[in-house]
Amino acid sequence: MTVATIQMPANETTAQTGASLVVSTLERMGVDVVFGYPGGAIMPIYDAIAGSGVRHYLCRHEQGAAFAADAYARASGKVGVCMATSGPGATNLVTGIANAMLDSVPMVCITGNVPQAVMGTDAFQEVDIMGVTMPLVKHSYLVRDAADVPAIIEEAFHIARTGRPGPVLIDLPKDIQFQQTDSVRAFHLSNDNGIADSAAIMAAAEAIRIAKRPILYIGGGAKISGAVEAVREFARLTGIPQVSTLNALGTIPTGQDNYLGMLGMHGTRAANDAVQASDLLIVVGARFDDRATGKLAEFAPNAGVVHFDVDASEIGKLRPVAVPVVGDLRPNLEALNRELQSGTAISVGEWADKCRAEMAACAVNYNAPGDSIYAPALLNELSKKAGPSFIAACDVGQHQMWVAQHCEFSRPQAHITSGGLGAMGFGLPAGIGAKLADPSACVVTITGDGGVMMNIQELATVNRFNIPLKIVLLDNSRLGMVRQWQEFFFERNFSEVDLSDNPDFVKVAEAFGIPAFRIDAKDQVSEGIDRLLAADGPILMHVIIDPEDNVWPLVPPGKNNAEMMEGSR
Amino acid sequence: MSNTIHIQIDRADGSLQRLIGLVERRGFEIHGMNMNDVGDWRTLALTVASRDGTRCIDNLGRQIDRLFGVRRIEAPASANAA
Repeated sequence: MTVATIQMPANETTAQTGASLVVSTLERMGVDVVFGYPGGAIMPIYDAIAGSGVRHYLCRHEQGAAFAADAYARASGKVGVCMATSGPGATNLVTGIANAMLDSVPMVCITGNVPQAVMGTDAFQEVDIMGVTMPLVKHSYLVRDAADVPAIIEEAFHIARTGRPGPVLIDLPKDIQFQQTDSVRAFHLSNDNGIADSAAIMAAAEAIRIAKRPILYIGGGAKISGAVEAVREFARLTGIPQVSTLNALGTIPTGQDNYLGMLGMHGTRAANDAVQASDLLIVVGARFDDRATGKLAEFAPNAGVVHFDVDASEIGKLRPVAVPVVGDLRPNLEALNRELQSGTAISVGEWADKCRAEMAACAVNYNAPGDSIYAPALLNELSKKAGPSFIAACDVGQHQMWVAQHCEFSRPQAHITSGGLGAMGFGLPAGIGAKLADPSACVVTITGDGGVMMNIQELATVNRFNIPLKIVLLDNSRLGMVRQWQEFFFERNFSEVDLSDNPDFVKVAEAFGIPAFRIDAKDQVSEGIDRLLAADGPILMHVIIDPEDNVWPLVPPGKNNAEMMEGSR
Repeated sequence: MSNTIHIQIDRADGSLQRLIGLVERRGFEIHGMNMNDVGDWRTLALTVASRDGTRCIDNLGRQIDRLFGVRRIEAPASANAA
């Protein structure tokens, strides 16, 4: 990347502190929302932010602030911003930073730190947050001169959102926040996402034309790069069957012809069988994550790989690639589509027919036996009733997989989940961030009784700002996914998964000022969903489900994706 | 089998830690290191070997190359560092 700094004429600036430069730079860049929590080492910035054009949302824990900023970025397409003080404030951001890194979410995290004079002396609330987060960030800065603040912030935003997006940390010692400067350096933007050469596109097209059983394997990069329309056009143009990773759900609308759903550990049998039988994987913005591939050595054993990715280091990382196409996904896929339109038509009718027939055989029976609430049926009905503006902000666990499997998504922003990190506690702050990013959307946090307790303090944030977030709490009084694995892979030794001493979640929500109600029988589901969706303000629906309900199908750990365990209620 | 990677990197806060951390985190041992400061950047010659013999030196080179502040990298074009 090329970065140049230029000296701004002194007469265009007046003396400002580093802290006021932080805020004025954020304002100038159009940042209107930040999430954070104040503390001693970041007080000058909080002093400057009061009365500014930047709306600060006080969360009740820095992890909540980081998760909210992450989801704000995912739902808005902007860079999410969070801030915290030094020491514990900064370390509380760490899980959120890792979450953004693993899912390639553009985020800028601003931390205060102790003054430079005492850095390295174990001062009160001193932590080397730059060192702590180094494996978890796309880049990081320790600001040594207030004059660098505007350039560093602008560069941080540029790095966060270009190429493969990710989190960038800016650590500001307190003396820098107080430092007065009348000369600031500015950042000169350059864009280096890159477009592949035409030879790579031609080679990809040739491989696709001669393939007999090709599969389009869509990863989260398709959403992030704004390549959704190009992906959909490729699917329409070629008729090649498509599978999606967890983070790519919504790229292809649920139920579309030739779409086989999610692949991997909890994917559909149709998707996994098609991938295993394929002779060519056209991989778009995916990274061969182990939850998607199962046993890597036996993944799609007869398939060659055409890999489109903006990150060259993903090419060949886990799977040899016959045709790498490195660069920005959207222009490269558009070039591929043009190339495919101009030559011999793709003919995969028989293969696509077979895949569609397998997908039809995967149809779910939502009329499960028993009187207790069947979460997959509830979630399917919820997404249908919520309509095209639906956004599911998921927590992590069984309910996360049920959402992925059973909700209907018509657009990529509709599914916000902690994919790579799998961070419990994401759902509630993620719902806050998504609702603030897209106030007209029907945003529903879908969480479990384990995950919600990890950031339950954010109910206070929902109440403080009267955020009309809808919360569905699926409660099996267990750490359900761990319980499921203990049932099948640890000889039913149910170790430390019992949460039957949970608080009364309806009372908890009401104590935070949020209306809540409980349902515990199948015949209450439709009315409950209607009540949830009709609410004008925030509301929580507490749903009691059977602790023994499991997520099906399941590829056992260490097995290949053809060895799926099937089950039913 | 060891390979030597030559890198030019900005002399910024944390740049060395970032580079060394990446190499070790991605499954390589550092067998030798030679560093020289040249103005506002530095040159490094890192001799590395895959810890378990399975990691690919080409991929390590691409991962180093995407670090901000890396100006230039020369890595051997072998298929495997083992």
